[in-house]
Amino acid sequence: MDNLVGWLPKDVLVLHGPTKLLVDKFHWHSPEAGIVASYTTTARDVEDHFGIMRGVDQVESFTQATAGACNVFFECVKQNCTPIELVDKFLPRFISIGQVNFHNYLEKDDTFVNIGNIRFNKFRQVVCDGRIYKVSPALDLDDYFSRFNDERLLTYDLNEDFTLVAELYDITVRAIKKELFDKQQQ
Amino acid sequence: MERQEIIDGLVEILKTVRTINPEKLVGVTEETDFITDLNAPSTEMINIIAKTEQKFGVEFEDDDIDDLGSKVKNVVDLILKAKQKA
Repeated sequence: MDNLVGWLPKDVLVLHGPTKLLVDKFHWHSPEAGIVASYTTTARDVEDHFGIMRGVDQVESFTQATAGACNVFFECVKQNCTPIELVDKFLPRFISIGQVNFHNYLEKDDTFVNIGNIRFNKFRQVVCDGRIYKVSPALDLDDYFSRFNDERLLTYDLNEDFTLVAELYDITVRAIKKELFDKQQQ
Repeated sequence: MERQEIIDGLVEILKTVRTINPEKLVGVTEETDFITDLNAPSTEMINIIAKTEQKFGVEFEDDDIDDLGSKVKNVVDLILKAKQKA
């Protein structure tokens, strides 16, 4: 497992059911730096919400795509196992969020990319900052991000037709040992 | 290294944590609880532990942190254990 590109999100974020998984594809991943993953909104994402995707669902998508996926990746490398095997040992938990600024909105069938950079990774806790950008449906994201790198990630060096939707800070996910979680539940 | 020396070092770290009221750092003892007594957010504990590694020149295992309690004495014990291992 060198990085998450080529992995299906459902095989990485295995605890999220199909209607709660808000990541379609990983396009770029530099394990120590960050990750880029896309999602296209469905009718369910905008239902009962004025035809636009809720901000909290954008945050959820970003968290799954960045701190959540990177947390799974780091643990799999450390434990030398696959994400499905990790489920028996650890539960990823979305434990904290900093400031979020929304600049734009997302309608049904809009495609967006979650661009996350890793600010902290230690003791099974991953913290990401990043942005969400709406992208043209015509853009081949795999091809576009094949020329991406750590430097461009940090400066959000993107084409002008990427539309900034949200900025997110201190998105924090921690892998909790399943045995500790079970003990707390008792 | 004496336990009080470690506690003094921990207080220095805690002074740099924005979310902790400096007034609460007067009279920190081994029984002081980071979360209930100092109101440190639980997410901040990991940052405090990371700073502790740097300050005391030790390295902790992930497993040690999973099982770590939230009292000052738990961190003091952890530092001494890591120093013994080194």
